Amino acid sequence: MLKLGAVIALTGNANLYGQDQRLGIALAQQWFNGRSRPKTPDSASPLTLELEDGGSDEATAIAAFNLLINAGALALIGPTLSQQAFAADPIAQRLGVPVVAPSNTAQGIPQIGRYISRVSAQSSVIAPLSLGEALRRDPSIRRVAVFYAQDDAYSAAETVIFQKALAARNLTPVTVQRTQLADNDFQNPITAALQLNPQLVVISVQAVAGGNLIRQLRELGYRGQIVVGNGLNTPNIYPICQRWCDGILIAQAYSPELDTPINRAFLRLHQRANPEQPPSQITAQAFTAYQVLAEAITRLEQQGGLRGQTLGQARSRLMQELLGGSYDTPLGPIRFRPDGEVVQGRFYVAEVRMQPDGRRGRFTLVRDLSLESDPQDPAPRPATKPSARGERP
Amino acid sequence: MQTLLNGAAAGGVYALVALGYTLVFSVLGVINFAQGALFSLGGYLTFLLMGGRISANGGLPGWGLPLALPFAPALLLAAMGAALASLLVERLAFAPLRQRNAEPLLSLITSLGAGLVLVNLLQLLMGAEGYAFPAGTLTGLPAAISLGGARIRSVQVLLLVICAAAVLLLTLWLERSRGGRALRAVAEDPTTARLLGIDSDAMVRLAFLLSGALAGLGGGLVGVSVSLPGPYFGIGYGLKGLAVLVLGGLGSVPGAIAGGLLMGLAEALVPADASGWRDALAFAILFAVLLLRPSGLLGRRLVEKV
Repeated sequence: MLKLGAVIALTGNANLYGQDQRLGIALAQQWFNGRSRPKTPDSASPLTLELEDGGSDEATAIAAFNLLINAGALALIGPTLSQQAFAADPIAQRLGVPVVAPSNTAQGIPQIGRYISRVSAQSSVIAPLSLGEALRRDPSIRRVAVFYAQDDAYSAAETVIFQKALAARNLTPVTVQRTQLADNDFQNPITAALQLNPQLVVISVQAVAGGNLIRQLRELGYRGQIVVGNGLNTPNIYPICQRWCDGILIAQAYSPELDTPINRAFLRLHQRANPEQPPSQITAQAFTAYQVLAEAITRLEQQGGLRGQTLGQARSRLMQELLGGSYDTPLGPIRFRPDGEVVQGRFYVAEVRMQPDGRRGRFTLVRDLSLESDPQDPAPRPATKPSARGERP
Repeated sequence: MQTLLNGAAAGGVYALVALGYTLVFSVLGVINFAQGALFSLGGYLTFLLMGGRISANGGLPGWGLPLALPFAPALLLAAMGAALASLLVERLAFAPLRQRNAEPLLSLITSLGAGLVLVNLLQLLMGAEGYAFPAGTLTGLPAAISLGGARIRSVQVLLLVICAAAVLLLTLWLERSRGGRALRAVAEDPTTARLLGIDSDAMVRLAFLLSGALAGLGGGLVGVSVSLPGPYFGIGYGLKGLAVLVLGGLGSVPGAIAGGLLMGLAEALVPADASGWRDALAFAILFAVLLLRPSGLLGRRLVEKV
């Protein structure tokens, strides 16, 4: 029996992402089980998945990694947060267990070791794209306020990217407000920032805090553009910021509007599971994480399978196969660099549009960008293609 | 002015939570660690009583109560619900240990366990995603108002007013009413109170009811102000309330109020661009006060009797 493990935040603050990820992995399992596998001795045994709660902290993620590795998992998907990955991934690396991160975007994750990879393009590739869109809409912007959660690895890494991208455009933030991961009352930092009359607000915090921050910014009278980072890439923010979410700009690694067979299949499965709203980027990335592992295993089966090999040998071969392949995924075509970093060709800028009831909304595609993600370049300059539907006049 | 308002709004909630701790501590000499979970419960109850529905990821997707009350009655009922839950915590986590004359320290663990169970039950039922109250919850109020050149959200002002009213009412009740005096008598000396015919067990139950109601009230108010970020959101307020309890002086009602306001103001005084260090500063103040006054701001010095 071939077993994969997934370490997903099912409890704690990051649970919000974990719920999306659990759905993505479940849909990928349905998709994979619905396909015909090559007739090999290995393919007679099912590909199973064991899901463990990684919590929202480092200690729980480490415990879940240890549990699944000791239970004989061939490879792991997870953990949910970059902060957790920096703590848990070294364990998998030391024991030679392949890890595919579905949502870690902080710099340096694949560089933890040769067994660590990710399907989530790092912030340096994606984050500046939405900033570019905001400045394209209003080139007169000079006063930018930056907010970020200083005690969160992802937020702290992403704000550096945003601030570098601002500097590249000769913009210096009029204020940088440092918040905390667990903050939800932003009266102090907002009132301080608004005294400086910002024309653009750039936010790098996690989802619920971000929803609250946006809502309170609007309630306290801010009317300018808001650019948010990857932490808010989930429809779960809509119930928090409601009608105040309307108009925020976000760069994404996934768009439901990508018209490819695999994305259509993914959308169909998602529609059945959740007819209320289109899939989020996090769900698509979790689907992709399972997909790349399943496809690498399938290719190994075609090459003769993993029979007669020790678990260590099987894990090593799987990692090699994973990095060597290219994949057609709901995110678009992807492959891996030798160090495990994902190379993705298409990114998107979306704008949140809320329905009049203020409870439901969607990420509306504004711009479709084709570029080869290169983590060495903090501010890629892509050839942009405005979306026919989302582009503003 | 802006700093004062920001600090008072946060401090009012801290005082409310700390008062809950104080009531229980004064009659039992122990801390009820489930207070933070009751705070969360109050927020979710207010949400459900106002017609909120459970999300797709909750235990009963789409379920909601067959009523949608206005904010004020929903908040009061939620406070009552949290009060009953607090009583249940007392029955399950404190009473059995008390009857066996167990070490008081043990009830810290049982109350912590009860709090965690409550939070996990909330997560099971409601899911982990955030819930926000509908935009029109506080009908007729503008989103924000200006006071003396400072800008503050109306909900924060409301929160401050309700917290102040609750604290004032509770203080008056403790000082003036027969029940309040009986509670204080048990807090002062349970043996003498019993000799005077006061049912100390009933007073313990009353303390739990009141502390639960205060936590529920705080949870509902904060929920309206900053949404319900997840079932764990009360834990942070619970910890802050605990710090305020110590800062003000264990078991001191005026101390809890003063401590709450001081903590809120201290946080507001942190320069805004360093607000990420807010907790560090607040706890540094706590540390400094305790070094100078180990019994807290208004706590009484304990004299060991022989």
